[in-house]
Order: sequence, then C-alpha cells, then structure tokens
Amino acid sequence: MAYQLYRNTTLGNSLQESLDELIQTQQITPQLALQVLLQFDKAINTALANRVRNRVNFKGSLNTYRFCDNVWTFVLNDVEFREVTDLVKVDKVKIVACDGKNQVNDYFSHSSLIIRPSQ
Amino acid sequence: MASSANSNQVPKLYRSVIEDVINEVRELFLDEGVDEQVLMELKTLWENKLMQSKAVEGFNTEEQAALQAAAQQQAQQAQQATQQAQTQQVLLPPQQQVTSWQSTRPTVTSAPQQQVIVQDPKILQHMSATGMNAATTAATLALPTGISPYQQLITSQGGNLPQTIYLKTVDGQILQVLRAANGTQYIIQPQQQMVLQQQVLPQMQPGGGQAPVIQQVLAPLQGGLPQVLAPLQGGLPQQTGVIIQPQQVILTGNKVQQNAQVMQMTGQPGQVQQIQQQVQQVQQVQGGAAPGVPQQQQQPPMMLQVDGAGDTSSEDEDEEEEYDEEEDEEKEKDGEDGQVEEEPLNSEDDVSDEEDQELFDTENVVVCQYDKIHRSKNKWKFHLKDGIMNLNGRDYVFSKAIGDAEW
Repeated sequence: MAYQLYRNTTLGNSLQESLDELIQTQQITPQLALQVLLQFDKAINTALANRVRNRVNFKGSLNTYRFCDNVWTFVLNDVEFREVTDLVKVDKVKIVACDGKNQVNDYFSHSSLIIRPSQ
Repeated sequence: MASSANSNQVPKLYRSVIEDVINEVRELFLDEGVDEQVLMELKTLWENKLMQSKAVEGFNTEEQAALQAAAQQQAQQAQQATQQAQTQQVLLPPQQQVTSWQSTRPTVTSAPQQQVIVQDPKILQHMSATGMNAATTAATLALPTGISPYQQLITSQGGNLPQTIYLKTVDGQILQVLRAANGTQYIIQPQQQMVLQQQVLPQMQPGGGQAPVIQQVLAPLQGGLPQVLAPLQGGLPQQTGVIIQPQQVILTGNKVQQNAQVMQMTGQPGQVQQIQQQVQQVQQVQGGAAPGVPQQQQQPPMMLQVDGAGDTSSEDEDEEEEYDEEEDEEKEKDGEDGQVEEEPLNSEDDVSDEEDQELFDTENVVVCQYDKIHRSKNKWKFHLKDGIMNLNGRDYVFSKAIGDAEW
C-alpha cells in the first residue's frame, strides 16, 4: 500500500473533489471512490519515483519541527527554492515528509492531514 | 519563461498520472457496473479542476487550451477595462433571451463608492464564470460617456422640478427615470418581455454607513406597456446602509414583478447624484416561490443570561456579583453566547501570527519523503525525495531536494 501522502496536493485534491461530486449525484459509490484514490496513490508514487528526475535545493530558517509517527513536519520561513533554471522565494512553507526508506505498509496513512472525509 | 524545466515537466507528469489512474480504474468501474461514461466524466471533472486551479500551466488538450486562452484574454481585458474607468457598468450580453445588466452608477469621487465599484467586477467575473459559458461571456464595459451627459442635464435643471434621467442599457434600450421633487424616483421601462437572470452574491456587505451599489434586477414587463415599477425611496440620507441581498434572482416569462426592482436614489438637488441601489425584494418566479423576504442588516442575537453569576442572590458576595454582572453585561451586548468569564481572561494569551499569513490564498506546502534528516546544534540538513510542491500558487515536483535551515 503506497503512501496516501500525495492526496493533499493539487492533483490529489482535484481528484477527491471530482469523486465527491460523483458521489453526490450518486453516480458512483463511496467504496468505488476509495478504490480510485488507492489507485491514485499507487500511480502518483510510481510516477514520482520513476518519471521525475530533477533536483532542488532550498535554504531558509526553521521555525518549527515535529517528528511523530515517523513523519517529519517542518515549518520554514523566508525560504529560497533553487533549481538549475530558477528561483522561488516564499515567506513560509510547510514540509511534510514521510519515511522514504522501505516504505512501511501505510496503515495509519497520516490521515489527519490528508484524507478528507467525503460528506 | 524562467521556470522552464519544471513547468514543462509538471503538466506531462500530471497527464500521465491521470491516464494511468483512469485506465487502471476502468476495470473497477466495470466491475461495479458503472458506465464508462461516468469514468469519462470523472476524467473531465478532474482535468477541469486542474485547469481551474492554475497551479499547472499549459495543461491539457489543445481544444481546452484554446478555450482557456480565449477566456483568459477576455477576463484580462475585462479586468483592465474595469480598473481604468471611474464609472463602472458591467453589462453581460444577452443570451437566449436572458439579459442581465447593471444600472449605471455615476460616481462621485468619493472613496466609499469607488470601493464598492471595484468589488463589482469581481462579482461579475465570478458571475460570468459560474452563470454563463466561460468561453462566451465577456464582461464589457458599457459606455460611461453615454450616461454622464444625461446626468449633467439633470443636475442643471434645478432642484424642484421633476427630472428625467435616461439610462441606456446594453441592448440599446432607454430607460427613463423620473425624479420627483422630493427625491423619489420612478423607473419607467418601456420594454417588452425580458428574462433576467442574475446572481447577487453575498460578498458585498457595506461597512457601516456606506452605500454600495450592487445590481439592479429588471422585471419583465408585459405587452410593452411602460410601467412604473417601483417608487424609489426618496428622502433618505445619502449614507444609509444598503443591504445587499445574497439571493438568486431569477425572473422569467410573462409575469410582472412589481417590486423586483428598486432603485434607490438619494436626491440632493443641485449635486451630482449618487445613485444607490438596493434590492429589497427578490422574487423567484420559477416555481412560484414566495417572495424573498426583505432582509435587513442582521444584528447579532442578544443573549439573555438566565443562570450563573450575575443574579441577585446572597448579600455576602455583592462585590463579586457586581464585577461579574459588568462582565456579563458586556458579553450580552456583544451578543456572544456565554463563554462567560473565561474569555476576557484567556483572550490575550495567543501569540499566534497565523492570521496574517492566512490572508494568503496558498499555503506553500511540500509533500515528500525524507531520506535523511540531520541536525547539528541548531543547524538542520534535509535530504528529501519524490516531492510535490505548491509554492506561490504553482506546482513543482522534484526527485531530490536538499536543504539547510537554522532553527
């Protein structure tokens, strides 16, 4: 089971919203929506691991750090993200990072941040 | 473009993920007995949301990209145009017998009204996006010049004569507005059947004492008879609070709406007028719903205290009671429902500066996995991988990220 970490991204949220709409109109069942999301998790994890090949550097000041359930959460201030081609500056950024080695079966799924209960 | 590498990569990546997911779940859909069409709808919804979010550039098929480009151009033109003109009148083109328009608001150079008007384009853009086809609506400016000459005629006529103001709508029809001596104003509208659809969004609420101008809803008339729609409220001070009704106005067909249109003009003879509008009643014709209740400025509910401190009871604790009573009275005036004494004690404890930062639309977020996190005294080093970033509203991805920070 892949990390559900990426559900709270533009790509993931738009998928969840679309699924919610279909559930509202009863075109799909919540169960099916969940299956779609699980499939999305797999796809995005694979895509990131295999299809992306670039490096980014960043520098800033650390405001807070937290390590809980093997998940690091940082808040940085005045950060510069640097890629070969360009530079992006932000005043504040939150970094959520799951363990990258030997992905543990993600039973907890760190859901407080990520999975939205569909209503 | 500066961000060439990543922004080329991201749309392709997203596209491939979408394709993968859709193909993988096709089987699941079929197993559940769900039609392929629903799957296509999911895909379309997904792609549209991604396009709308603007987090990704140049996303999607050529067709949709062309549409998007066209819509963006129109939106940009509209934005530029509305920001420039002082008098702002946004008229939406008639669609299928649907005409909606805003009456003009010749502006005095007063700040409150300018504020108000600036908000309008946003509302209208929102309207145009939601209510109409994004590709076909163009918010165009009506000719402000068409209005002001008429207005000048009026102001020069002096105070006590009934004055006629002519307003011109987008489809060339002329409205007559009679302004009587005491400031009441009537709108005579020699139009025939007209179907209007307008949304009044609950975004504009006047600050105290300001009178924003929102949207005017025209009622359809029957038989081409000029009809006096509604007497306007005259004699009101200029700074009455106008309440914007957050309701949908849908007027169709042949019914005559007598009170659907209210134009409130504050009459001050001899001055350039501020025309203020207030939608007092909103009636929904379809389904014959009950007429909208005229809304008033909502006041916070007053809560009465029925127990607890503040009651007159024992004599021993007079001083405490008085203190508590004062506190509680203040809270009652605030209209809050009894958090009681704790609030003034704890209310200043928070040192959070979150509020300032929440003003931004995006929280800049990076979701990724960590290879190694290292710390030496207060120097932290981050080794991250496989991440998606949303910075300043835009999406980026990385396979590796290395960072330094001081705590």
